[in-house]
Parts: sequence; structure tokens; C-alpha cells
Amino acid sequence: MDFEALWLTLRLAVGTTAILLVMALPLAWWIASGRGAGRALVQAVVALPLVLPPTVLGFYLLVALGPLSAPGRLLVRVLGHPLAFSFAGLLVGSVLYSLPFAVQPLVAGFSAVDGAYVEAAAGLGASPWRTFWSVVLPLTRGSLLTSAVLTFTHTVGEFGVVLMLGGNIPGATQTLSIALYDRVQEFNYAAANRTALALVAVSLAALLLIYSQRGGLRRGDLV
Amino acid sequence: MGLMFAGSRAWGQKELRVAAAADLQPVMPVLSQAYEHATGVKLVVSFGSSSTLATQILGGAPMDIFLGADFTYPEKIVAAGLADGSAPTAYAKGKLVLWARKDSGLLPLSIERLTDPRVKTVAIANELHAPYGRAAADALRKMKMYDAVSPHFVVGENIAQAAQFVESGNAQLGLISLTAASTDHFKEIGTYVLVPTSQYSEIRQCAVVMKNSDRRADAHAFLDWLLSPAVQENWAKVGLAAVR
Repeated sequence: MDFEALWLTLRLAVGTTAILLVMALPLAWWIASGRGAGRALVQAVVALPLVLPPTVLGFYLLVALGPLSAPGRLLVRVLGHPLAFSFAGLLVGSVLYSLPFAVQPLVAGFSAVDGAYVEAAAGLGASPWRTFWSVVLPLTRGSLLTSAVLTFTHTVGEFGVVLMLGGNIPGATQTLSIALYDRVQEFNYAAANRTALALVAVSLAALLLIYSQRGGLRRGDLV
Repeated sequence: MGLMFAGSRAWGQKELRVAAAADLQPVMPVLSQAYEHATGVKLVVSFGSSSTLATQILGGAPMDIFLGADFTYPEKIVAAGLADGSAPTAYAKGKLVLWARKDSGLLPLSIERLTDPRVKTVAIANELHAPYGRAAADALRKMKMYDAVSPHFVVGENIAQAAQFVESGNAQLGLISLTAASTDHFKEIGTYVLVPTSQYSEIRQCAVVMKNSDRRADAHAFLDWLLSPAVQENWAKVGLAAVR
């Protein structure tokens, strides 16, 4: 069992989930609380990673943000090294790759919140911020959990982006899925099997967590 | 002109499914054109690391001939009883080079550049399963540079990915195949030095024809063509070396 790869994968998944929760909450609330062409465009862009092959994402990060490009050179100045072959690079790739998994459950949850509660809170003098924290979020706990767990497991399973961008460096970019691929390439099927089982176990545990919620709070159960 | 007809299949045109190692990526188009012109047989090529191709063939991938980058992967096909013949046939010798972009600031290039303190990233193919990666690691060990250079490895899944890492500027140096370094593009943007062949075991690229292929005769004909003087004497043009 490749513990270094496991630890790295967990760090990547936790880091991505943390960053995405911070990014996705305001973004999802903005999408859900209105209508219009702007929101449609944003939703489409957010959903892009769902349909783009991960290798496309990895490719653009490698080449379009590589040291030969203007943004890439800026990154080298800021980070001290190119985006590729670093944990930071993987984080950027993972955040983009899992963006729809973080945002979409939240949008669905927020959209289902009865506008009457939001209006009532505003009518009672709550600021939009207070309304969000004290009224909307407690009502959408289920969506929040789904968003976090999906992001986490999606990152654990990431392969194409890491393959394009990572450089397979143990301790920095050699995630479990890459390690698994390596074992298969070496015809070491016993080790590959152990790694694969670990990945399946993590994914199953996460899915159980989501599905064992009893449908989240229903609107009538608020009090 | 050829582009107009690319993708259209002449009715009844014979095709040969070739599994080709990643280092042959620049070589196959040249070979395909010449072979189709000479015989009318179209080569349908799948590239990959020798290891991936071998795994897929062992899993039943419908290939007619497997051109590997070493002896061991075609040998696995023989060992599994899937090859038409008792041993892989060597068709070319591969060569390893150290390559850098012209704008890398590391010119003039020499093998010693690998231990230059400015060098933080050296692209290499995976030394555990890629033939060129293995050769590169062996050469570094023999030149007593492995411990100094290995912390800077960025590892490509196959030799083509390693070349791509250094070509895109993401790695400063690359231990890549001469086939990649010999292309017009690579010659235009970078330079290379040969890794002395005394420092690594010969990269003996071998082929097997698949026993279950229904185009075995065509596959053998293609392999014979690869072994003919017409091709062997021109291998140097694409970065390979003759086997005889």
C-alpha cells in the first residue's frame, strides 16, 4: 500500500474541497438568487469541466499556463516555479476540475429554499449576510454535505489532469490513481489491486455518507 | 494532395493495425507514407507506451503487429503465446539524447549540464517501465550522476510525454529519444547531445506479429520491409539506427 501516495491524495482532496467550499458558496448563491443571461453563461462555464476531458484541462494548464506564456511567466515569478510538477499546480487543476461538483449541488439546494423565508428574514431586519448564514445555510445542510463529499471523492479519483500536469513526483504529485497506473504499467497487478481497492473503499464510504442522509430537511420541518 | 484523401478509404484497400511505441511517433508518418506508396497497404497506428500497448494486446486488443521500444514487452506477448514466432524480431536501435530548448539559458549543452545548479527539472520517461526511461536511469547511474539528478526528475508516462515536458518549457532539460530530437520542430527550437552509448544497454527495439491476426502475411511483409536495406540504411534520418 503506497502510503505516501495515499497521504498526498488525501491532502489534495481536502485542500481542493476547502478552497472550493469558500469559492462555491457565494457563487452558487449568486446563481440561485436570480435569473438572466449572465447567470446562464456563468452556469455553463461552471459546468464545462463536466464535459471537457480532464486531459484538455491538464493540457491547457501545462501549455497555456506554462513558462512560455505570459500568464505562465507571471506564475513563475509569483510561485518561483512553473505551475506544472507542483502540488500547487495540482490544486489549481483540481479546483477547476471539481468546480461543477461543488457548485451544482449548492445551486440546487439554494434554489429549493422557499423565497418566503428569505423575505421574512429581510422583513425582520436581517442583513443579506445574516440571512444567508442563519436561514439559508441551515436549510441546505444536505446540499452542503453533498457538495463537499462529491468534491472530495472526485478529486481522489482524478487522473487525466494529474497525468498531464504532475510529472509523477512521489510526495508531490504522485497521487493514488497515478500510482495505480504505474503498478499496472509495471505488471505488478497485486499492488495495483490493493491500491484500486483502497480507492473503491474511499469512494463507497463517501457515497454512503451522502445517501444515508434522510433527504435533508423538508420545508415543513423547519421549526 | 495526400490530405484531400486522408480518411477516405479506397474500396478494398488493405489496412494493417500497428501498435507502435511512443518513440515512433515522429517516425510512423514517414514510414506509413512510404509503405502505402510502395505497397498500397495503409498503416493504422495506435501509439502508446510499450507497457500500455503490451497490456492491451495481452487483453485482446486487435492489433496485427506490435512495434515495441525494447525486447521485454514484445517478449511478454511471445510468453503469452500470442505471437507468431518464437521470439521478438529486432527492427531498430534507439538512441538516447539530452535535449534543451535554445532559450533555456543552458547552452552550450553538454552531459555535465545535468548537474548544473540552475537545473531544477529534468524530464525523463518512467524508469520502471519505459525503455528509454530505463536507459536514461542506467546511463545516469553509470555516469555516477543519478543521486544528483534524480531529485529533479519530472517523469513522463512515456518517452513522448517526457519530450513534451521539456519542449513546452516546463522542464529545463530532457533525456529523450533521438527520434523526437531529430524532428524539424525539435531541431528548430532546441539542441541535443547524444548520451554516450557506452553508458547504457542498447535500446533494441523489437517487434512481434500477432498470431491471431487475420492479416499475418501482410504483417510479416511489413516487418520484412522494415528489415530491408532500403529502410535500415535510412533509419539515421529519423533518429534510429540499423539493427545489422
